[in-house]
Amino acid sequence: MRSAEDINRVMEAYADMVRRICFVHLKNRHDTEDVFQDVYMKYMLHEESFENSEHEKAWFARVTINACTDWLRYFSRRSWVPLDVIDEERGMLDDGFAEVLEAVLGLPEKYRNAIYLHYYEGYSAAEIGGILGKKENTIYTWLARAKSMLRERLGGEWE
Amino acid sequence: MNVIRESMENIQASEEMKQSTLLYLEERRKKRHDFRTYSVPGYVLAAVCLFLILTVSGFSVYRKPVSYISIDVNPSIELSINRFGKVVSADAYNADGQEILSHVSLENISYIKAIDRLLEDEDYSHFLAEDSLVVITIVSEDSDTIRETIDADEALRIYGTKTYTSDRTCMEEAHQHEMSFGKYRAYQELSQYDVNITVEDCHGMTMGEIHNRIASCQNHDGSGGGKGYSGGKQNHHGKHHSGGE
Repeated sequence: MRSAEDINRVMEAYADMVRRICFVHLKNRHDTEDVFQDVYMKYMLHEESFENSEHEKAWFARVTINACTDWLRYFSRRSWVPLDVIDEERGMLDDGFAEVLEAVLGLPEKYRNAIYLHYYEGYSAAEIGGILGKKENTIYTWLARAKSMLRERLGGEWE
Repeated sequence: MNVIRESMENIQASEEMKQSTLLYLEERRKKRHDFRTYSVPGYVLAAVCLFLILTVSGFSVYRKPVSYISIDVNPSIELSINRFGKVVSADAYNADGQEILSHVSLENISYIKAIDRLLEDEDYSHFLAEDSLVVITIVSEDSDTIRETIDADEALRIYGTKTYTSDRTCMEEAHQHEMSFGKYRAYQELSQYDVNITVEDCHGMTMGEIHNRIASCQNHDGSGGGKGYSGGKQNHHGKHHSGGE
C-alpha cells in the first residue's frame, strides 16, 4: 500500500486532471466525488511502480476514464444532460466558454476523451491510443470527426 | 492556448474534494492496517480449521452406531454401539423400558458395563423373577465377538440369559411395529408354530411368556423340530446361541 506522503504528492499533481476527466464524463458533482475517491483508492492499492512521471500521469488518465465509463455503465439509466453539469459548475466557469463546453460535452463519449486528452492535456494521437487502448489511426479518425462536429456547432474560431 | 483548454482551465479539484478524499483514504488505510494487525496468522487459522475438522469428524465417527443390542425381559431396551464398543444411545420400546431409562444412564460406557448397570438397577431387578427370561439379541457385523463378551459376563450367566443374533432387515421391520428387534425375533420364531399369533399379541407378553409358548409349541410338535426353527439353528431372521444355560 502506498504511503500517505506519496498520496499527497499525486493529489497535488493529478487532482485537477482527474477532476476534469470526471467533468467531461459525469453528470454531477456527487458522482465526480465518488469517482475521484475511487481513482485515488486504486492508486493507494496499486503496488506496481511507474517508469516515470509521464507513465504515472497516463495511468491516472486511463484509470479515471475507465472509472467514469464503469460508473456510467452502472448508472446507465440516467440521461446525459451536458447543461446540467455546466449549470452546476457555473460559478467557476467563464460565461464566454459555456457554449464551447456544451459543444464538447455534447460529443459522443469516445470523441470527448480524445478531444480532452489532445486539447487539454496535450497528448499526441499515439499517446491517446496508448491510454485508451486504441490504434493511433483510430484516434486520428476520432479527432477528425470530433473537430468536424465542433466546427459545425461552433464555427471556425474555436480551434 | 486553445479554446477548449481555456474553457476548462477553471475546472479544478477543490481543496474540499482533495481533503475529503485524503481523509477517506486514511480511514481505509487504518481499517486495512487494523485488520492486518489483529488478524490471526494463516497457519493458526489452518491449524484451528484442521482441529475443528478432526474434532467434528471424530465426533461423528464416535456417534455413529455400528452394532445394536436388544435386551428384552419385559422391559425392551435397545443399545446402539459405536465402533469403540461404547453405547451412543439407548432406546426403550415399551413402558417398562421407558421407566428404567428415565433413571438409568447407559450412554458413553461400554455395552457390557451398560448391561451390568441395568441388571444392578433395583427397579430392573423386579423384572428378573424366577420365571422371567433375559434375552439378548445382537445385530452386528462383528456379532461373534460381542456374543462371546456377553456370554462371558458373570451377571448374565446368573440369569440364564439366551443370546441370539439377528440382522438389520429384522431390526427395521421390528421398528416399523414399534417393537425391539429382540422381541420381534422372538415373535417371528413363535409365529412359525402359531399362525394366529400377531405382533400386537407379543407387545403385551414378556419374553418369558413368548418363550414358554414357543417351548409349548415345540413340545406339542413332539420332536421340537417345528416348522423350520429349533434352538441353535438359524430361523428366518436369526440364530440362537444358548448362553449360560
